[in-house]
Amino acid sequence: MSAVVEVEGLTKKFGQLAAVDDATFSIEENLIYGLLGRNGAGKTTLMQLITGQDFLSAGSIRLFGENPVENSRALSSVCFVKESQKYPDDFKPKHVLKSAPWFFPNWDAEFAERLVDDFRLPVNRRIKKLSRGQLSAIGVIVGLASRAPLTFFDEPYLGLDAVARQIFYDRLLEDYAEHPRTVVLSTHLIDEVSNLLEQVIVIDDGKIIMDASADALRGSATTVAGSRAAVEAFTAGREILHSDRLGGLSSVTVGRLSPADRAAAEAAGLELAPVSLQQLIVRVTTSDRADTTTDWSSES
Amino acid sequence: MTALTVSESAASARTTTNNRLLAIVRLHFVSPMTTIVVPWMILGFIFLVNLAIWAIIFSSVTDAQDRNDAQEGLSWSGASFYIFVYMLFVAIQAINLTFPFAQGYGVTRRDFYVGTSIYFVLLSAMYAAGLTVLSLIEDATDGWGLGGHMFTSVYFGVGEWYVRFGLFFTIFAFFFFVGAAFAAVYVRWRANGMIALWAAITLLIVALIALVTLTDSWPAVGTWFVDTGVNGVILWSLLPTALAAITGFFVLRKATPRN
Repeated sequence: MSAVVEVEGLTKKFGQLAAVDDATFSIEENLIYGLLGRNGAGKTTLMQLITGQDFLSAGSIRLFGENPVENSRALSSVCFVKESQKYPDDFKPKHVLKSAPWFFPNWDAEFAERLVDDFRLPVNRRIKKLSRGQLSAIGVIVGLASRAPLTFFDEPYLGLDAVARQIFYDRLLEDYAEHPRTVVLSTHLIDEVSNLLEQVIVIDDGKIIMDASADALRGSATTVAGSRAAVEAFTAGREILHSDRLGGLSSVTVGRLSPADRAAAEAAGLELAPVSLQQLIVRVTTSDRADTTTDWSSES
Repeated sequence: MTALTVSESAASARTTTNNRLLAIVRLHFVSPMTTIVVPWMILGFIFLVNLAIWAIIFSSVTDAQDRNDAQEGLSWSGASFYIFVYMLFVAIQAINLTFPFAQGYGVTRRDFYVGTSIYFVLLSAMYAAGLTVLSLIEDATDGWGLGGHMFTSVYFGVGEWYVRFGLFFTIFAFFFFVGAAFAAVYVRWRANGMIALWAAITLLIVALIALVTLTDSWPAVGTWFVDTGVNGVILWSLLPTALAAITGFFVLRKATPRN
C-alpha cells in the first residue's frame, strides 16, 4: 500500500489558536477513511490544508508525494465536497453536472444521471432556490461521479433525509467496489457510517487522538456492568475510559478484553456490552487527556 | 529513457494546465444568463425606451434649428454606461463565488486567475465588438433615423471602427479587472480588507486633492485632461487596469475561501 497523503507535524494557527496542532498521520491508497471529531475540532481546516486551500503554519504535507499548495498536477486528482459549498449565483444543478467533467477526467455522466434520479434532484431549478437537502445532494453527486483518486466529503449530507443518506452510503460502497479510490468522510453521524469506514482518524481540539483501523476499534472497548464491588474488583488495574455509578451499580468502559478476561467477568456475574464506534469516540473526545493516550493502533 | 520520461511528464503537465485553463474559461461561460443574456436584454430595453424618447422629441420639435440643438444635447448620452458598471459586478461574482466553487474542483489559484482573466478579455472583446457594430449602425442610420445617440456619444463611439473597438474594450477591461481586484481583497480579508481598502483609497484621493490644491496645479490638471482628450484618458486607464490585474493576482494567490 502507498500513502496518497502524508502529514507530519502539521500545525495551523489562527492567531493564538491552533486549529490543527502538530498532526502526524498518513492516508493510504484505496481505503475509506472516517475523519471524526466534534464541531470546531479542526476537521475542515485539516482538509483545506491537505487540498492546498489553506496554508500551513508549521510541518509538512505531501499530497501524492508533492506539496499541495498551488500544485495543479496533485490537485487534479482531488475532489473536495464541502458542506457549505458556494455556487455561482445563477447556477442550476445542470450547470454543475455539465462543467464537472471538464475538471474530473474520470467523471461518469451515466452514474451522475442515475444519482440525480436517486436523489430526485431538480436539475433545472436555480441552486439558490433548492432545499438544504437538495443542495447537499449536488455535492454528493459530484463527489461520487467524479471518481477522483482522492475524494473528501466534509459533512456532505446536511439536510439529507435518512433514505437519501442510505442511498449515499449504498452508492458509495457499490461504486467504491468497482472503482477503488481513497475516500475521506468527515462526519459526526458516526454510527451511520461506522460500517463503511475502514480506517478512523479522530481529531479533537486540533490534535489527532486516534488513528486506527475500524476493525481494530470495533471491540477495542467493552462496557462492564454489575454491582459496584464486582465491577471495581474486575476493573482494578485496567485502563478505565469511562465510568458511571448509580447507587450500588456501576458501569465502566475498559479497553480490549481477552477471552480469558471475558470468562472471568462472566464468572463474576458481570454483564459485558460492546461499545459502538460512536460511543467510543464520544468517550475519548469528552474525557481527560490522560485517558486518551491509549495507543489504539497497537491492537490491530 | 529517463530524458524521455521527463519530457513526457513535462508535456503532460503542460497539457493538464492548458486543459485546466480552458476548463475554467468554459466554467465561466457555462451559465450565460447573467453574463451575456441579461446584459443584452437590459441594453435592448434601454435602447427601446431611448428610441421612444427620441421619437417624442423628434415629433414635438419641428423647427430645424431647435431640432439641431436637441440632437446635440442627445450626444451627451450616458444610456449605455450601465453595461460597464454591470461588468464590475460580473467580475466580483466571478471571484467571490466561482473561485471557492472552482477550488472544490481542485483548481489552483493561479490557474483560476489566469483562466478568469482570459474570460474577462473574451467578454470585453465580445461586448466591445457588439457596441462597435451598434455605434456604426447608429452613424449609418443617422441616429436610427431620429438623430439619437446611445452607442456614439461625446465620451466614446467616435472615430474609426478600430478606435471605437479599442476604447470600448479598454473600458470593459478596466471594470472587469478593478472589480476582480476588489473581490480578491474581500475573499482574502473579508470585511476588514474592504474597510482598509476604502480607507486607503479615501486617504489617497484626499492626499491627491491636497497635493494639487497646495501646488496650485488645478489649471494644469484641467489642461492635461483637455490635451489628453477623452480617448487619451480612456487609454491612460490601462495603467490602473494593469495595476488592478497584477494586484488581484497576488492578493488571490494567498486567499482561502471561508464561510
